[in-house]
Parts: sequence; C-alpha cells; structure tokens
Amino acid sequence: MILEASHNFFSLIGENLNQFLQYTGFANATVGHIAMIIIGLIFIYIAIKKEWEPLLLVPIGFGIIVGNIPLFPGLSVGIYEEGSVLNILYQGVVKGWYPPLIFLGIGAMTDFSALISNPKLLLIGAAAQFGIFGAYAIALALGFTPAEAGAIGIIGGADGPTAIFLSSRLAPDLMGAIAVSAYSYMALVPVIQPPVMRLFTTHKERLIRMKSPRAVSKREKIMFPIVGFLLTAFIVPSGLPLLGMLFFGNLLKESGVTRRLAETARGPLIDVITILIGLTVGCSTQADEFLRLKSIGIFVLGAASFFIATAAGVLFVKFFNLFLKEGNKINPLIGNAGVSAVPDSARVSNLVGLEYDKTNYLLMHAMGPNVAGVIGSAVAAGILLGFLG
Amino acid sequence: MKNHIRTLLLFGALTLSYTMSGQNMAAIRINEVQSVNTDGYIDDYGCRNGWIELFNTSYGTVDIGGCYLTDDPNDLTKYMIPKGDALTKIPPRQHVLFYADNLPDRGTFHISFDIPNAKQVIFVSNNGRTIIDEVTLPEGGIPANKSYGRVVDGEGSSEPTHFLQRSIRVAQKERAAGEDHGWAILDKVTPSTNNLTLDGDSKSTTMGKTDPYGVIMAIVAMSVVFVALILLYVVFKKIGNRAVIKSHLKEAASKGDVASVASVKGKESTSAEVFAAIAMAFHLYKEDNEIHDFENTILTIHKESKSYSPWSSKIYTLRETPQVRRNK
Repeated sequence: MILEASHNFFSLIGENLNQFLQYTGFANATVGHIAMIIIGLIFIYIAIKKEWEPLLLVPIGFGIIVGNIPLFPGLSVGIYEEGSVLNILYQGVVKGWYPPLIFLGIGAMTDFSALISNPKLLLIGAAAQFGIFGAYAIALALGFTPAEAGAIGIIGGADGPTAIFLSSRLAPDLMGAIAVSAYSYMALVPVIQPPVMRLFTTHKERLIRMKSPRAVSKREKIMFPIVGFLLTAFIVPSGLPLLGMLFFGNLLKESGVTRRLAETARGPLIDVITILIGLTVGCSTQADEFLRLKSIGIFVLGAASFFIATAAGVLFVKFFNLFLKEGNKINPLIGNAGVSAVPDSARVSNLVGLEYDKTNYLLMHAMGPNVAGVIGSAVAAGILLGFLG
Repeated sequence: MKNHIRTLLLFGALTLSYTMSGQNMAAIRINEVQSVNTDGYIDDYGCRNGWIELFNTSYGTVDIGGCYLTDDPNDLTKYMIPKGDALTKIPPRQHVLFYADNLPDRGTFHISFDIPNAKQVIFVSNNGRTIIDEVTLPEGGIPANKSYGRVVDGEGSSEPTHFLQRSIRVAQKERAAGEDHGWAILDKVTPSTNNLTLDGDSKSTTMGKTDPYGVIMAIVAMSVVFVALILLYVVFKKIGNRAVIKSHLKEAASKGDVASVASVKGKESTSAEVFAAIAMAFHLYKEDNEIHDFENTILTIHKESKSYSPWSSKIYTLRETPQVRRNK
C-alpha cells in the first residue's frame, strides 16, 4: 500500500517534470531559433565592439534573442500572441506610431542651417532617392509584388523609422526583415559608401573646396519647418505623419520658446521610443517568420538600394557641377550624404574628404544633403504609400 | 490690441468646436430606402418591413443617438433615435439600418412610422431643427421589393431626382459623364452593405499590371520628390537672398555707412576706390616681393595652411548653434 502510494507520488512528480520540460526552450528549440540567436549575438557584438549604430543594434540584437526563445504556444508571452506584453508594445510598430514619434525627436535635434544657407543641397537629397526606386524596379523583376517591392525599396532611403512605417503599411509580413536590413546597412554606411564614392569621383573632384556656409538668421530657421511642411505635405499628403512630426519637432527646437518640449522630444521621448522600436522589431524576427528565401532577397536588394542611392547622389553632384560657376562648385564627396542615415553618411563624406586634403572639412556641407535626405525619403515614402497603399 | 486678439482666438475656438461637432453629424447620409418589402430582408423579429439605411461617409465614428428620422417635413422630430445605445455609433464608412415598421417598442432600430406611401425621408440633427440629409422618393413610390439608393455609397447630391426612375447602369453612365444624379432604383437590394461593389484589384495589383517594370513609378515618384524639394529650394533661395541683403543693410546702417547701405540696396555699384585698392594689392603682391606678407594686420591672399578648423572643433556641436559671449 505504502509502496503503491509512493510509486504514484513519484510518477506524478515525473509527469509534472516531463510536462514542465515540454514548456522549456530546450524542448521547443529548432535550428532556426539557434541561428537567429547567433545573428542577435552578432548584432550585439558589432554594436559594442565596432560601435556601429549601437543605439539601434543593441536593442535590435537583444530583441532578436528575446524573440527567438523557443516558446510553447498559448502562454500569451510571444510577440505575435494577442494581449501579451510584447504584443502590446509591438502595436506601436504595427500601427505605425513609433516612427512618427522618432521623427519628432529627429526634428527636434536637427539643425537645418547648412541646408538653409545653401538650399541647392536639397537637390542632392532628392537625387539620392533614386536608390529607393532602383531597388523597387529590381524587386519587381525578382517577383515581389508592387507593395512588397515598395516596402523593400524604401531601405534605400537609409531611414529606419521610414522603412518600418512604410513596411507596416505595405508589407507587414516582411517588416522584420526590412527593418533589420535597413538598420544593418545604416550601421554599415562607413563600409559601403566610401568605395562607391571613390569609384565615381576623380582625385581633382575630391579636392574641391566649398564656400563656408553663411550665418542663418533665427527667422529663417523658424520659417523653414513651417514653409517646408506646408510645401511638402500639400504635395504628398500621405507623408503627413512623418513630415508633420519632423517639421513640428524642428519648430519646437527653433522657436526658442518651447525649450522644454524640444528637450523632451530629442531626449527622453526619442530614447524611450528607440528602445521600444528596436526591441520589438528585433523580437518580430522569429525564426519561422524570418528565415525565408524572401529575407535573403530583401538583404540583397537592401545592399543594391544603398549602392544605387550613394552612386546617384555622387553622380548628381557631378552633373550639377556642370552648371555651377568655378568657386560655387560642390564637392561630389558629399553626394553620398543624400541618403538620410543622419549623421553617419555626412561623417563618411568628411572622413573621405580628409583623406585627400587634411584641411578640407566637408562635415557641415554634407549635413545639408543629409537632412534633405530625411525630407526626401519621407516624401518618397508618402508617394509609395499613396500609389500602393 | 491684446483684447482684440483674445476675442478673435475665443471666437475662432468657438467656431472650430461648433464646426467640428457639425462635421460629425454632417457626415451621415441617407443611403438606401426600401418602402415595400414582401420577400426580402428579415428583421431581428423575423418580420419583413420597409427600411431606411444611413451611411457614415467620414473616416471617424459618428454617434447618431439623439438625432431624428421623419417622413414629414412639418414634423422633424417624429422619431428620435435613442441616446446611450452603443449600436448608434456608426463606425467609419459603415452602414446602419432602421426598420420602418411603426413599432418603436421593439428597440432602437425600429422607428415610429412606416413608409409604403412616404413622399420623402429626412434625417435631422440632434437639435431637432437642422436637416442633415433628405431624399424625395420617386413619384408613384418605389416598386415593391426594389430599393431606391445612391449609386455610390454616400456620394451624389440629395436633390430630388424622383422623376429619374432609371436603372443603376444608366445612373453609372451619367455619373461617368460627370452628371450628378446620385440616386437610382438599384439593381440589387443591398441592406447594410455597399450599393456599389468595388472591383477586387487593390492599388498595388493595378500598379503591377500597368507598370510591371517600375519605370513609370520611378519617373513619377522621382519627379514628385524633385518638385517638392525644388520648391523648397526656390522658396529658401529667395528668403536667403532677402536675409543676406537685410543683414548687410543692418550692418552698414549700424556703422553709419550711407554708401554701403546704398550699395547693398543695389542702387550704387561698388565704388571705383575699392577696385583701385584691390588692384593695388594684387600689384604689390605680384611685383614687389609679396610685400603684404611682411606687414601685420593686412589682408593677404596667401593660403593659410593650418590643421585646425572650426568645422572640426569639438566645442561646436552639430545640433546646437554656438552661443557667442560678449564681454560688456
């Protein structure tokens, strides 16, 4: 009797332990999960060791690990399980309200002076958007649907929030791969862009010195976000969430009377949203959703779009120089900054410029096309949304 | 002056709030009406009655609780839609159906009159006076088991078009020709659903068919991007030019230099003395052993080779305008 009772007792414990084992990650792990966890670790390594976009790659990398912990379905903890904590946080990505909030912060921390003092640099920001539509055409040729191609093409805008915003609207299934691809290539801007810049410029062109930008008055700085918003939003109303927040953030900064709001927008607010967007985008890359042939295609197209965007920016400056007088010419090394990876691509312009002339600092000049690229990519996203949404 | 501004602001806020509440209600349209129903839609009591369909044309939810439905222009408050019913909140671009069975005791959506002989149907705002939408029904009535509705949900004028008892195909042709005949005897009776069934192709699919290589998209989109940024360029070029002229004028005026002010305004070109001085400087530089470079505080055309530049200075950040301190 006692033996039988103890046998039942131990078999019950065994059953419970066995049941518990079924809930653990070890029982549910697949090769895909392990592969994704390794990718997450690589992201964290790159962010910490190389300091490439650490503010984004650390949350995304850790998010990839969190999202790929093998789960027993039905526990309401996974990011795709309705009502779970991660799912609630993920709504900011799905519904597209994180990216505009990030744009608010970007607006509040961006100084458009370089652009206002030399407005022709705006055109470089427009030219670099060729990357988006080049990648769009290639994606169509590879068999992606127009909506998917549009979402993939926006990687060429080199703007993570815009890529997330647009892909959440046009191709939610591909959003994880697109976001990771966009941020990866943004982190790799110092590696991808210099060879392209050297390829399309001559030694003489790299030595071009540009006029120092003039001082910009406060009135001009205040007018820029208002006029800029009205003009761009009237032309592309579908870009309203991004353009509105970008210029609103900038008005908070430049008005001079909303210092607290501007500091919150460019400080705690953007930090909080960056943490949430990075983590949840990382989490969304669950192995079964992410490890597909399409994801590889997206990464290849992302690289192509960055190449086209950089080349288009540089070549456009060379073309533009044909119409400019001597002394007013633009150094084509700032053409790459038309992609809106702020401020990394402007830094790349400066560093490559210094390689050829140690006294030729291009940073401030490159900031013009760089912030123009932010406006350009938001406008391009609005157009794609209008045509394909 | 301040009081005027405050009054204007208050007036503006009041107007805005009035317009906003008005806009919500104004978005409701009578969309489809069936007077005689003997073999069609069955209500929640298992009965067949005439019905009135309303449509929310806006992209926000509109609560029609407290509004009125009537078939009598002399009695605009004939049936008040009960307040506080969650079902009277019509979601964006959605329909709601009222059964014209003269049995209001059966619930919110059963109104206090029937409409087999009605001449018109009117939807009235919650103030009981403002007519939001009305439709005059066809002379002789709507044929039994047919409905009279808008060709496209929520679109077209509400002008009486009862004399045009035409089919929906005719109405669609008229609409395509730019004529505004919003109402017709519909081919299909469609309670609580769209009168016009949209074709299945999304924008993306249509774009894929019309532009399989993405060339048209690239040309159109890049043109739009360039137009937007060229406009910005043009505007800020103008603003910049004005700002430069203004700052020069200010500078010159502060120095009391009348000649410079006139020069900046473009009324007088640079004086001959200035050109002479520049020519002399070049001459001295080229012919007289670069004499200027041995003089202190003289402007030189020699290239200054120094590794330091304000652009590389860490004290100037990209995000903040450097603050200039002036010692008093």
